[in-house]
Amino acid sequence: MGTRLMGCSVTLILAAAAALSSGVTASAAAQRTEKHFTVNGRPVVAIQNVADGRIEVRSSKNPEIVAVANQNSNKISFDMEQVGDRVDVTANILDASAQPQELQTSLLLTVPEETELQLKTENGMIYVEQVRGDMTLESVAGDIHLKDVSGYIIVKTTGSSLVCTQCAGKLDFNSVGGSAQILQPALTNVNLRTTTGNILFDGDFIRTGLYSMRSGKGVVEVRFSGNDSFDLSAKTNMGTVDNQAAAFLKPDSHSKWRFPSKFTHGFIGTFGAGLAKVELSTFSGTIRILKRD
Amino acid sequence: MQCKDVEVVLEQEGLAPLPDAARAHVAACSHCRGLIADLESIVSLSVQLPAEVEPPARVWVSLRNQLEQEGIIKQPAAVAANGDSSWWHNLANLFRSRTFATVSVGLLIAVAAVIQVSQPPVPAVVKENASAGPSWQIPFAQTRQTLNEQEVDLRNMHLSSTSPVDAALQQNLQQVDDFIADCERHLKADPQDDLAREYLSDAYQQKAELLSAMMDRGRSVN
Repeated sequence: MGTRLMGCSVTLILAAAAALSSGVTASAAAQRTEKHFTVNGRPVVAIQNVADGRIEVRSSKNPEIVAVANQNSNKISFDMEQVGDRVDVTANILDASAQPQELQTSLLLTVPEETELQLKTENGMIYVEQVRGDMTLESVAGDIHLKDVSGYIIVKTTGSSLVCTQCAGKLDFNSVGGSAQILQPALTNVNLRTTTGNILFDGDFIRTGLYSMRSGKGVVEVRFSGNDSFDLSAKTNMGTVDNQAAAFLKPDSHSKWRFPSKFTHGFIGTFGAGLAKVELSTFSGTIRILKRD
Repeated sequence: MQCKDVEVVLEQEGLAPLPDAARAHVAACSHCRGLIADLESIVSLSVQLPAEVEPPARVWVSLRNQLEQEGIIKQPAAVAANGDSSWWHNLANLFRSRTFATVSVGLLIAVAAVIQVSQPPVPAVVKENASAGPSWQIPFAQTRQTLNEQEVDLRNMHLSSTSPVDAALQQNLQQVDDFIADCERHLKADPQDDLAREYLSDAYQQKAELLSAMMDRGRSVN
C-alpha cells in the first residue's frame, strides 16, 4: 500500500514537472521583436505575412516606424528591413511541418500619419486606423477593418470582408466571397465588386463622385441622406430591386442612361440635381435602396 | 521555362493545348496569364465576328492610321511589299506586346460594334431560334477549357493541407464554380444578355486568380 502511494506521488511529481517544463518551453519559444526605423517624408511600408495573425497599423506624429512582432514559436521568423523610406516586413515559415497554432503571430506597426501601405496576409485580421496615403491590402481569409483612412485604397480578398469606416478618397474592393460595409464615407470614387458577398453603403455621395457597386449573388444595399444629389441606376439579371425610396427618386432627368439589354430589369432615377453617379447591379442578388431619416 | 519561351510556344503552336512546362510557368506568371487572356479574348471576339460581312474600308484605314500614329507599325506599304518578312510574322511580332494586344482587343470591339450597328436588325423569330437552338456556344469557351484543365492539374497535386487558408480557397473556388454555372445557364437561355456576360467574364478572371494562388500555395507546401 505504502509503495503504491509512493508510486502515485512520484508519478504526480513527474507529471507536474513535465507540465512545468512544457510551459517553460512554450514561453521560451514565444518571441517579441521590436524595431524602430527613422524615416523622412511619406514612407512606404510593405508587409508580407504568410503567418496566421493580426496586422494592426496605427499612426503617430513621430517620423519613425515602430514594428512590434509577436510569435508563438520559433518555427516562424520576421525579417524587417529598411531601404531609404521603405520598410519591408516579411514573415517566413522556417518549418514547413509547423502546426497552425505554431504559426500564430501578431504585428503592430506605428507609422507616420502620411504613409503608403502594401499589406498582404493570408489569415488574420488587418486593422488600419488614421493613416493617410495610398494603400493596397490583400487577404485570403482575414477580414480587413479600416477606420479614418484616406487615399487610393485598393482591397483585394478571396473570402474575407471589408469594413471601412470614415474612409476618404478612392476605394476599389474586389472579392469572391467577402462582403463590404462602407460606413460614413467621404469617398469620391467607389468601385465594389464581390461574387457572393453583400455590399452596404451607408453614407453621403460626394457631388461629382462615381459609385459602382456590384454583387453576383449577394445583397447590395444603399442608404442615402436627404442632402445627397445623384443619378442612380439599379439593374439585375435575375434578382430583385427593393426600392424603399421610390417616393424620393424622380425619373432620370438626364435620360441618357439605358439598361444594356431587355434581359435586365431595375430602376433608374434621380435624387436632387443628380450630381453624383451611382450604379448598382447584381446577377441574382437583391438591390435595396433606402433613405435615412 | 521563361516568359520568352512561352511566347515562342504560343507563336509556334497556338493557344491550346499548351505543353506542361508552359502551363506550369503560366500558372505562376501573371504577365503570361495576362498575355494569354488577351489572346483568348481576341480569338473569342474574332469567332463572334460574322465571317460573311466585310468591314468597311474606312475601318481598316482608321486602324492603320491609329497603329502608325502610335508608332507600332512603320512604312506599312513598303515593308508589306518586302519579301524578307511575311505579314503574319509582323503581326505575330506585334502581338508580343501585351499593350498592343490590349489595344487590339479594344479596336476589335470597336470593329464589331461598327458591324453590329451597320447590320439590319435580326427578326425576333430568328433571334429566338438562334438562342434556343443547338448552335449556342458557351461564352469564353477557350478560357473555360484552360481553367478547367488547371483545376484538374490542381487536384492532381494532391494537396493534403487542412489549413484554414486552403479551406477558404477551396470554398471560394466552389463558390466561383457555382456562380459560373449559374451565369452559363442564364446565357444559354439568353445569349444576348451583356450584363450576364460581364458577370461571367469577371467570374472567370476570379477563378484564374484563385487557381494561381492555390497552385502557388501547393508548391510552397509540397
